[in-house]
Amino acid sequence: MKILAYGSGLFFLLLGAALLTCPAVMAGQGSVLERIHGAEEPFDSMEIESVQQLTLKTVAAKESYQGGEFRVLARKEFISRFRCSVCHTEKPMLAQDGVLFTHSDIRINHGRAGDALICIECHHEKERDFLVDSQGRKIDFDHSYQLCGKCHFRQKRDWIGGAHGKRETYWAGERVVRNCTSCHNPHSPAFAKKMPETYSLPLDE
Amino acid sequence: MDNRNKEEGQIKKDDPIKRKSTRRSFMKGLSLAAAAGSAGLVTGGCGDSATAEEMGLKWEEYFKTNYRLMTQEEKDETVARLEKLAKLRYDLDVKVSTQEPLERVLYGYAFNISRCKGYMDCVEACVKENNLDRKSKTQYIRLFEMEPGQLDPTSGEGKYFHEVPVDNKFYMGVQCFHCENAPCIKACPTKATWQEPDGIVVVDYDWCIGCRYCLAACPYWGRRFNWGEPEVPREEITKKQHYLGNRMRMKGVMEKCTFCIQRTRDGKLPACAEACPTGSRVFGNLLDPDSEIRFVLENKKVFRFKEELGTDPKFWYFMD
Ligand code: SF4
Ligand code: SF4
Repeated sequence: MKILAYGSGLFFLLLGAALLTCPAVMAGQGSVLERIHGAEEPFDSMEIESVQQLTLKTVAAKESYQGGEFRVLARKEFISRFRCSVCHTEKPMLAQDGVLFTHSDIRINHGRAGDALICIECHHEKERDFLVDSQGRKIDFDHSYQLCGKCHFRQKRDWIGGAHGKRETYWAGERVVRNCTSCHNPHSPAFAKKMPETYSLPLDE
Repeated sequence: MDNRNKEEGQIKKDDPIKRKSTRRSFMKGLSLAAAAGSAGLVTGGCGDSATAEEMGLKWEEYFKTNYRLMTQEEKDETVARLEKLAKLRYDLDVKVSTQEPLERVLYGYAFNISRCKGYMDCVEACVKENNLDRKSKTQYIRLFEMEPGQLDPTSGEGKYFHEVPVDNKFYMGVQCFHCENAPCIKACPTKATWQEPDGIVVVDYDWCIGCRYCLAACPYWGRRFNWGEPEVPREEITKKQHYLGNRMRMKGVMEKCTFCIQRTRDGKLPACAEACPTGSRVFGNLLDPDSEIRFVLENKKVFRFKEELGTDPKFWYFMD
């Protein structure tokens, strides 16, 4: 009786395995963490054919991540009044005039409370089409992460690795991530409050 | 519903042939009960006035096997039928893919609870991408406003009708965690739900008998049941579909997050990860040591929800 029960159990086990390989068998290599630790070989996601070139303009980052080179979304194209030097010529310009006219939409809410940043802390005073860091080094708008990272170095480290910021469209293929200023308004970098898109029911409903 | 459960209890003991016929008579009852979809809405099941061609296609559909037992030829045939049915019924040119898993890929997800602002763009994007029933407001993702220190989303507030983020609150999203050791799969009496080699837990909607055992077994509220005929406005249908993903479901079947299988197997991010404006959602290949998801797991404080259950979810929460 016992043998019979055992035998039929085994039979169904084999049948089950043959017909529909059970997930534990298919996964095969134990827990997720074990599988992760066992995967040290680099993975070439470039061979995934369905990944297409983005239509957005990107530039090669002047940094590298754990997987090598990567690209960032370009910025200059999205700055509506770029190039700045078209207006900002040799002729002196009063900050007040700028606030009143062309840049009236800009509110500086960046920096420590009571000690907000001023324009020329980030914008190059002479070479108007560039940003500038505290050592006076010129920084291209397309590589604004180089400037942001000077203060926000922890965020920059996470951004390079992938724990901060966003990849664009694809998880596979050549790595393209958003620039800091693709998401954050540099003049007021905190995300704005807004109404939620929808609502959720309680979990047990 | 009680009858159904009773019937289900017997099914387990039946032989496979009997089981099939039970499933069929059950499904037949369902389609008879299915109400006709109103104008402009696309529903998954039968309507009223079907042509002979449509009936023929449905008849053939009815006798197909479990997706996992299909040859590629059979998969191509069922896809062709489903596409034809969508054309006949709704004049929609849907494309149903049977794209296989990519090799050496195991999908994983990480959610940054210190960065999510509770905007719910992810929830909306998911509903649209996956053709979720608008009538019953089905959502794969639920998002909760939480008190600091609180880590149980069952007591979180999902209906917050105010501007977010609120100071001193945090936001936590919950969806199917694609458990490596998934209790939902073990609970299914018809093997209608399983884990694919790339780690995605899927449902064969045509093989599901709607017993809801899996829903009861899931400790994370990851599954959604179609009590009624799902309805989606015709112009909002996502036409790029996958057999195991966002193709139209019918009344009486289970569905759930598939990590947007129709997108991710093409190398794209899931709709939620793409829609999130804050970058709180990280998705990628756990078997790629250079991936973002691996960076998060190796460099951030991560935890999994109810880890002690041994379900081994492939979804981590993390903090900056
Ligand atoms: S979260 Fe629930 S539905 Fe998803 S795999 Fe785990 S047990 Fe199954
Ligand atoms: S998938 Fe869930 S509802 Fe469908 S047959 Fe399996 S256990 Fe029942």
